[in-house]
Amino acid sequence: MTWLRLSLKEWQRRPLRTSITAAGVAIATATLFSLLAFQRGYREGVRQELSRLGAHILVVPKGCPYDAASIALHGGSWPCYLKGRYLDEVRAVAGVATAAPVFMSALYASNDEQFVYVGVETNILALKPGWRIDGRFPENENELLVGSEAARRNRWKIGQQVKLPGLGDQNGLVAGMLAPAHGADDTFIYLRLPDAQRLFERTNELTHILVRLADPNALDETVKQLRGCDAGLAMNVVPLAHLFHTIQSLVNSTRVLLGCVALVALLVAGVGVSNTVLMAVTERTRELGVMRAIGASQRDIFELVWLETIQVCLTGAVAGVALAFLASRGVEAWVRRTLPFSPTDALVRWEWWIAAACLACVVVLGSLAGFLPAWRAARVSPMTAIQNAGGHV
Amino acid sequence: MSATPSIDGQVISASGLTKIYPRGREQVRALENASFSLRRGEFVAVTGPSGAGKTTLLNLIGCMDSPTSGTLRFLEKPIQDLTERERTHLRREQVGFVFQHFGLLPTLTVAENIALPAFFAGKRAEERLNELLAKVNLAHRRDHRPHELSGGEMQRVAIARALMNQPQLLLADEPTGNLDSTTGETIIALFKQLNREGLTIIVVTHNDVLGRATDRRLELRDGRLV
Repeated sequence: MTWLRLSLKEWQRRPLRTSITAAGVAIATATLFSLLAFQRGYREGVRQELSRLGAHILVVPKGCPYDAASIALHGGSWPCYLKGRYLDEVRAVAGVATAAPVFMSALYASNDEQFVYVGVETNILALKPGWRIDGRFPENENELLVGSEAARRNRWKIGQQVKLPGLGDQNGLVAGMLAPAHGADDTFIYLRLPDAQRLFERTNELTHILVRLADPNALDETVKQLRGCDAGLAMNVVPLAHLFHTIQSLVNSTRVLLGCVALVALLVAGVGVSNTVLMAVTERTRELGVMRAIGASQRDIFELVWLETIQVCLTGAVAGVALAFLASRGVEAWVRRTLPFSPTDALVRWEWWIAAACLACVVVLGSLAGFLPAWRAARVSPMTAIQNAGGHV
Repeated sequence: MSATPSIDGQVISASGLTKIYPRGREQVRALENASFSLRRGEFVAVTGPSGAGKTTLLNLIGCMDSPTSGTLRFLEKPIQDLTERERTHLRREQVGFVFQHFGLLPTLTVAENIALPAFFAGKRAEERLNELLAKVNLAHRRDHRPHELSGGEMQRVAIARALMNQPQLLLADEPTGNLDSTTGETIIALFKQLNREGLTIIVVTHNDVLGRATDRRLELRDGRLV
């Protein structure tokens, strides 16, 4: 026999009650785990998504900068446009290394599938060092560079003449294909800027400009100059680092609320565990007295009851982590529906340190919850074994 | 701590033993000025009406409580001077307890229940366990749970458990109180056999048959030995 085995036996006495208590711990752990995994996933997701854009500053038409950033990142149709001549003014600002003009629009094919067309110049390549192109970048009229997912879905091959989805009889030639970038680029169809403007009848208009700086430390100064130029009043200059912090701040308020919920859930679970073990100790008073009478020390009894508590908590914690894993897709879908801005990357990120942190947190909780019942159990006098007449075995 | 009786063979010697319990503002004299001794190998019955102080005396002899005054020596150790830890050690190593309600742990098997005192003492128990299972004739029940046993079998398990650490003294509180007369006689026979093997036994009992089986009686009335 071992202390662990002896404490495990206690579970057999009231399996339903103990399991319900462990379930409470599991729910609290799942909440905590999901929150931490979401915090990690969302932060990393937003950071990577903005990093994939390759720019330090996003220049968009006047309006809500977050909506504009969301469209630029995930693809979509724009409600308003920048004039083409603003590009020269942006390029003229000191500190701007690359200003890549973009025209983006989304169309739906007959099967309701969305196709995002993105017109760009070759200088976009300066912003996308991570791109791996099979074939070549579009050089001639109606040539396309397609994202890996768009190519897979449409079964397009390099050199193939294809009908442009959503654009009636317009044809294009697949000149190149992007290796999977694990982001929105995978679903985009890139083409030359003039081709996109012509196809969507928006000659000399842009949806946004991606700006990369020669020195990222000069961000504030460059932003100031961009806002101060002639076109500054007609466009929104969005520093992506600021956007990242603003999005994080917006989400932080939700996170704090969820953190409070997780904390309350943990405290309630801890009180539940303490109450359950306390009840078990009360029910076993004479039995504990017998154990004391036949040689168990106060420390033995304390450790036994404490071990029982930790066991319930740890079982609940492991079940909670498993529950969080199983529910992660549902949680992610719910978060995406709820948040105004969510990256395409996984929002709930699994990491071992999060699981370990949750288990550690629950062990601490279990230790605190088990202290009172264990202390009370250790104080049971061996005389109780004789004094309590009647009762069960 | 010594594991053997004193040179003159005394396991227990009590002198002027008094125990007073507070009950609200009153004080209850549960045991008053009791003096007696118990030699090795004796089989003694403690008798008396309810409230006479039998349980109090058992608690004191069993190192579960300290006297208010007087001296109680167990294997030459003054109980009243021992710390809680020393009393626990003495109980674990030198005293075996048998309860009226058996006191078996329902979640443990017969074998696990019997081995429990050895487990608390940090000793290996397998060989002694088999020996005891054979002695109480329960080898075939070793993996059963208490609720699968009869009253007599449960009490035999309790006796085997009490003998696990080879104690100097066996204390039994109404060991036949929850048993029918036939089963009770089996238990009395087992006590007699253990006593013949040299074990010192004190039983608290109302059972005349058991009382008659002992070498002598300590009769208590209103906390006093008569």
